[in-house]
Amino acid sequence: MTIADLEARLGYASLVAYTDAELAGAYTSDLLSDVIAHAPENSVLITLQAHKNTVACASLAGVLALVLTGKAEVPADLLDAARQENLAVFRTADNQFTASWKIAGLLGLGLGPIPGSKENL
Amino acid sequence: MIPFETQNSPSIITELLYRLKIKDIMTHPVRSADPTTRLREIQTTMRENKVSGVPIVEDDRLVGMISVDDIIRALDQGYIESPCGVHMSRKLVVLEDDMPVSMGLSHFEKYHFGRFPVINRDKELVGIVTSRDITSALLTEMNRALETLEAEINSQAAPVAAGEVKRVFVVRQFDYENAGRASTELKKLLQERGVSRKTQRNASVASYELEMNIVNHSLGGRMIYQFSADRVVIEASDRGPGIPDLAKAMTEGFSTANDWIRSLGFGAGMGLPNTKRVSDDFSIESTVGKGTTVKVTIVFETAPTPQEKPA
Amino acid sequence: MTFQQVLETVGGTVIVKGSRWDVQEIQHVMACSLMSDVLVTEEDDILLVTSLASDQTARTADMVGACGIVLMNDKTPQAELVALCRELDLPLMTSSLPAFECCWQLGNRLNGPATPKS
Repeated sequence: MTIADLEARLGYASLVAYTDAELAGAYTSDLLSDVIAHAPENSVLITLQAHKNTVACASLAGVLALVLTGKAEVPADLLDAARQENLAVFRTADNQFTASWKIAGLLGLGLGPIPGSKENL
Repeated sequence: MIPFETQNSPSIITELLYRLKIKDIMTHPVRSADPTTRLREIQTTMRENKVSGVPIVEDDRLVGMISVDDIIRALDQGYIESPCGVHMSRKLVVLEDDMPVSMGLSHFEKYHFGRFPVINRDKELVGIVTSRDITSALLTEMNRALETLEAEINSQAAPVAAGEVKRVFVVRQFDYENAGRASTELKKLLQERGVSRKTQRNASVASYELEMNIVNHSLGGRMIYQFSADRVVIEASDRGPGIPDLAKAMTEGFSTANDWIRSLGFGAGMGLPNTKRVSDDFSIESTVGKGTTVKVTIVFETAPTPQEKPA
Repeated sequence: MTFQQVLETVGGTVIVKGSRWDVQEIQHVMACSLMSDVLVTEEDDILLVTSLASDQTARTADMVGACGIVLMNDKTPQAELVALCRELDLPLMTSSLPAFECCWQLGNRLNGPATPKS
């Protein structure tokens, strides 16, 4: 899938102009320290943390696109930062769970291997 | 070493470590010297002022440090009369005055220095921090928190009007250990009254948002629940600092929460708008420097009939 | 979807089972680590998937009438969280999966794989 698929196939609203590129994976998180540490390169980040710092953390981790969930307004300084870092930004009314599931579909991820569960009562 | 760490300490201590800034706890003004000052003179400064390190400053810039160890070495090797600039350690690790105290703690863990010079945004020397400064600041702050709590408990008179049930809960600033307890109690009381799930949820959400606002943003306050036959009135009042711009505070997404409040899962700027959304009546009054009182009413969706409620 | 299916789907470990483990039918999932956003949800009986390991998670879940909690990202629940889940009769399980994996696995289990238009 490419960045443009988020707009074309999921109908997510694009908030800044971007250069299309292939996306290798996705990461869902609200905690910026977690994004820096674990978001994979060339991925899309699904988050409801609509804050300027999200852009900085995402670009440190090599993220190419942000999908912002949640109801809060997207601040102008976030969009300015995204333009500078050449990061695509999308907004959706889907919550994080639904957005992650749909993007997994775009990435062609089916029912994966189910790791063994443990009971610990 | 200092027996505080951010990982496994009670949340009130963790909070203090993040809330207190280096500038709140540092020693200042700081005794400094310039590179031409003789080590002998610095030794005298240390003895007279009972300090263990003296920053060396040239043209308002911090350029080095002389510690007790440096003085001992100078005495040992016979260069105590020479200018300190030649012998000072130039490998400097500094703290900035706006950093949280937690950063200071990790510096003491990481580097084995007994003190760190503190600089401001303009790179000027503004103070010095020892582990003793950190310990005593924390003790003072913890004492203050306890005193506040005690004063609040003693000032509770709680008059209860006839025919109504009133419950009062003290809510402390940054007390994440107890944050939300009042709202959990409210939910239990509503369950006991047999009100609908939707009512329970609306009242609990309103109460929880208001309670967390007191914990996250105020100097402390209380939650008062006043039950009557068909409604509960929730009053959340705090002692300050007050909200300068109420219209802004009522806007979704507006938040003054800092990063650590956000890291605890709050501060998305939804609190007051969400409280209003779930309430049947909502009013807010705020005076900067005095405090904020929010009063909301939740009308029970089905009137409770506690007497007839099945056991 | 039942709690047992959730457990299998996320490769989880049961911490608190509670009385609703076998009877609750889960229809809504919410993945969120910011509790303020959980508080604006409108649905009843959501399954809350989060990486916040403190007791605030259980309090928030209780306030919105959530039916259970999955603590993901290999987080160890704090003792207060476990105690409160027991007190409030809220099922709690942990999973080593990160949020994205949790969401797509649970989404696929709940709705089948997403098929965006091409």
